[in-house]
Amino acid sequence: MKRFRVLDIVLGILGLLTLLWIWHLVTMLELIPRVFLPSPAATIAALEWGLVNGDLLPQTLATINRMIQGWLLASLVAIAVGSLIGVSAIARAYIQPTLEFLRPLPASAIIPVAISIFGLNSSMVLGVVVFGAVWPTLLGTIHGFAHVEPRLVEVSRLLQMSRWEFIYKIGLPNAVPDILAGMRLSLTVALILAVVGELLTAQEGLGTAVLHAARSYRAADLYAGILLLGLIGLVSNYGLAIADKRILAWKN
Amino acid sequence: MTAALTKSWRGWLLPFSVVIGAEAWFLFNPILSDTLAAPSKIIRGAVETMMDGTLLRTTYQTLFGAAAGLFIGMAAGTACGIVIGLFWTADRLSSWSVEMLRPIPSVALIPLSLLTFGYGYRMEYAVVAWATFWPFLILTQHALKQIDVRLLEVSRLMGFGIFSRIFKIMLPAAAPRLFTALRLAVGLSLVVAVTVEIAANPQGLGYGLMVAQESLRPDRMFALLIWVGLLGWALNYILVRLEGRLFAHRAPGLAADA
Amino acid sequence: MAQNAAIELKDVSLSFGSNEILTGIDMSVEPGEFVCVIGASGSGKTTLLRMIAGLLPPTTGAVLLHGKAVRSPTRRVAVVFQDYGRALLPWRRAYANVSLPLEASGMPANQRPARIRQLLAKVGLANHEDKFPGQLSGGMQQRLQIARSLAQEPDTLLMDEPFGALDAMTRQTLQDEVLRLVAERKTTVFFVTHDIEEALYLGDRVVALDSNPGRVAYDIKVPLPRPRDQLTTREHPEFLRLRREMFEIMNKIHA
Repeated sequence: MKRFRVLDIVLGILGLLTLLWIWHLVTMLELIPRVFLPSPAATIAALEWGLVNGDLLPQTLATINRMIQGWLLASLVAIAVGSLIGVSAIARAYIQPTLEFLRPLPASAIIPVAISIFGLNSSMVLGVVVFGAVWPTLLGTIHGFAHVEPRLVEVSRLLQMSRWEFIYKIGLPNAVPDILAGMRLSLTVALILAVVGELLTAQEGLGTAVLHAARSYRAADLYAGILLLGLIGLVSNYGLAIADKRILAWKN
Repeated sequence: MTAALTKSWRGWLLPFSVVIGAEAWFLFNPILSDTLAAPSKIIRGAVETMMDGTLLRTTYQTLFGAAAGLFIGMAAGTACGIVIGLFWTADRLSSWSVEMLRPIPSVALIPLSLLTFGYGYRMEYAVVAWATFWPFLILTQHALKQIDVRLLEVSRLMGFGIFSRIFKIMLPAAAPRLFTALRLAVGLSLVVAVTVEIAANPQGLGYGLMVAQESLRPDRMFALLIWVGLLGWALNYILVRLEGRLFAHRAPGLAADA
Repeated sequence: MAQNAAIELKDVSLSFGSNEILTGIDMSVEPGEFVCVIGASGSGKTTLLRMIAGLLPPTTGAVLLHGKAVRSPTRRVAVVFQDYGRALLPWRRAYANVSLPLEASGMPANQRPARIRQLLAKVGLANHEDKFPGQLSGGMQQRLQIARSLAQEPDTLLMDEPFGALDAMTRQTLQDEVLRLVAERKTTVFFVTHDIEEALYLGDRVVALDSNPGRVAYDIKVPLPRPRDQLTTREHPEFLRLRREMFEIMNKIHA
């Protein structure tokens, strides 16, 4: 078993290195003009220079900050409102159809509305991030609360638990897997909308950084920025996956 | 779930009261707003966008951009998914690369795509293709891995070659899950196309929204916004229905809960 | 009557629309009595238990506990469900599952640990308090549910085919444990089962339900000596005679 896992890692790294080598070859032979595809070495150099000497680090932090802020705010709102709607079958009957209709609406389509309300500034970006990141967690929370094992509802009745006690001892823990699944999706959405917001408003952040790099034909800087955005996505995904595993230990 | 809207009057109450409330509010506060518009104004705005051709043109541009990008993403994603799903070595070799590349948010590629292709359809295809490539890759791979082992043994015993096995046994067996991937990706392609248009590309519904906003026409802006919502909802509704119709005979509940 | 019956059913009927589930049930259970109710599936025995628990109101008639009409569940009555997998809180460890009724009844937090450990020890789960229900075997999960029900300190225990999903060996062990635990506390037990031998082995009385609609067909006393024993009781001539009688009764009912 252990041998297998070592082999997995070796093959995984081998595959990644092969990909990098192909990238290197393509740029060496100039199959794609360097303006559009810089060499891996140039990209890494741009990344290093940008982080150490340039302003890539504060820009990365600005984007992360925006993403996390919006995500946390959205999660709080979503869990609170979602619990209230989810607990009551009546509230669900009135509100859920509207929510289901709004869900497929591209969150970015709300940007023009947000611009006309807030203007082209960072509160607009935050507002859009919150708006977009609310949905997955909100719908997850409602779903979790709506699907409590009927047996457990009976147990709560037999123990004469109050409505409040039911919410935080049975409803909420029952909804946790759905809430976490929603929050994972929300975080991805938050990153996307943070970047879109930056592209439009030129607020400090990686979105703006990559846009400027592209406009001034600094391909290596552009790729460095994209790489960092991927890294943010990767790390945040992993972080939440680990938190998931911890919190949902009872599921396995 | 989407059918719930038509199922019960209670679902209609909230949107109706919002519309009536907004109309009443504008009736008693007859100010000219740059941000919001009365529902009656929005309806007039909608008629206007229909009459002057904006609606049709931008809808066509968005749907075309989304569909072409989706097609590229689907072809590439499904092909890679099949290879990874079938061959153990391909799976292991690609694992790290997929893990590293997949989290790159599609919108991060907007500037790159702009640099490479300039404004127009091609940059939109590229970003939509990147975004939809991943769900196809992942879901195809999962679909193939979840085929009943017994079915594969049967196909071997019948002496099918690898291609017959893929096209006669594996793809049909994986079809319900592949369709689910398609449904998710269709929704995603619309979202990404509109996003690209809002962020950069001067065409389609997203750009139409931005133009309406910049020319201080909230009525037109909300008309287009609602239209985008309806479009997304309708596409999803049709595909969910189709999914139920196509695969109702197998794995009951699969279509419903996927 | 010197004392009110622990459970009293007076001409109880239940129907859903035109579908009659139970009709004209008259029955009473004395305090400390162990009554087993048997019947085929569809005889409404589980429905009857749910009405006594206060989870379901009868259409007509009255359900009384110690002389008082039941309108909603009370903590003096505990229920052990057959589907332990669904009745336990999967996100709470064994310890915290037993803690639930104590929290509900408002027992001060500092008094709970001793009580919980005592209960877990009683059902043989002392070494498993940190496990989640999903990590326990079926038999252990059912022990856990029993410990949780005892944490309520109920004077009446309603058990709905509690051992129906367990293997034969585990079932026998748990039967003896339940007998021991309820004898200690003189708990009244209303035990639903479809197993004639289980009913005779456990009960002071066995009530058989006829189906469609459910009604009391027979009500038999079981004069077997206590404490009961898996070998000697099951070989007791009276046990064998009653078993034969019950089989004949059940055959007649379903003929």
